[in-house]
Amino acid sequence: MIFREVEDPDLIAKARRGDVEAYNLLVSRWEKRVFNYLLRLVSNREDAMDVSQDVFLKAYQSLPKLDDPARFSGWLFRIAHNEAFSLLRRKRPETELAGEPRPADLNPRLLPIELSLAVETALGRLSPDQRETVLLKVYQGFKFEEMAEILECPVSTVKSRLYTALDLLKTTLAPMQKAALRGES
Amino acid sequence: MNCSFFDGKPELKPDWKAFVLRELNADDARQAEAHLATCSICHEEVATLRLTLDTLSTLREEEMPRRIAFVSDKVFEPRWWQRVFSPTFAAGALVAAAILIHGFIGTSQNQVDAAVAKAVSQLETRHMQEIQAMYEHIEVRDKQVNNMYLSNAALIR
Repeated sequence: MIFREVEDPDLIAKARRGDVEAYNLLVSRWEKRVFNYLLRLVSNREDAMDVSQDVFLKAYQSLPKLDDPARFSGWLFRIAHNEAFSLLRRKRPETELAGEPRPADLNPRLLPIELSLAVETALGRLSPDQRETVLLKVYQGFKFEEMAEILECPVSTVKSRLYTALDLLKTTLAPMQKAALRGES
Repeated sequence: MNCSFFDGKPELKPDWKAFVLRELNADDARQAEAHLATCSICHEEVATLRLTLDTLSTLREEEMPRRIAFVSDKVFEPRWWQRVFSPTFAAGALVAAAILIHGFIGTSQNQVDAAVAKAVSQLETRHMQEIQAMYEHIEVRDKQVNNMYLSNAALIR
């Protein structure tokens, strides 16, 4: 017997008819991705959790307004983007005080877990706009056009932010990359 | 060091970032690959970009501190008549009624105390029943969520 995975548009159609279990299944598929995206944006687990909760509640309430169910992921991340930046605007002074990473965080002799922390620190040095393009492209796999819809800006702006971010990351991570390669050889 | 192959025609130089991010169309990607095979400078540039992306991919995905709670949606909230006939509301009304009735008919303080104690006892019993029912409901919901995950995992496999 061949099982076919229930597609997101099928679940969306059911959820629109009031099937809460269908929406719960949709949440279970997307919650970790949305949470991790928000976590890297707002840099606080509790805030990321609270915003994730708000995102899925707003998405449920706005589900009838979703024009094309096939574009659910971009639509969901647009809600997440709006919620995250709304929080960042409210908490800006606090974030600016706490957000500056210390140079000592970047140790050139790294274990895999330390490399992950170094990447986290390097991402933290980007501006929120630049960081978000990296999150959407590298970690969520969206195309430039989809990112432009999520961020509500031209594709040229998306590319400009992402390319600048990649140049900065390349420079910041270069010592770690060399150390990691030396460790492998 | 920059590749001099596209000097005078920079618009023809492949967009290497778009290339490593798989954003070039098929024709452009083929042309970029052809040039890459012959140019060590561009090859080095692409290798550095890929290394940066590989390093970024080492970022660990974080587990969520808890699941998204969706059952708090409005559709789960009881209607006004369900609230009125709920055990908590009824027990509270019973306590108030006991105090009022005994106040009106002028019974002794001991009788009032006994009536209130009886009503409070009933209220506590009903609260315990409600809590028990809530626990059972949570267990049922947990099982439903687990089953949902298992069936989803089976479907994905």
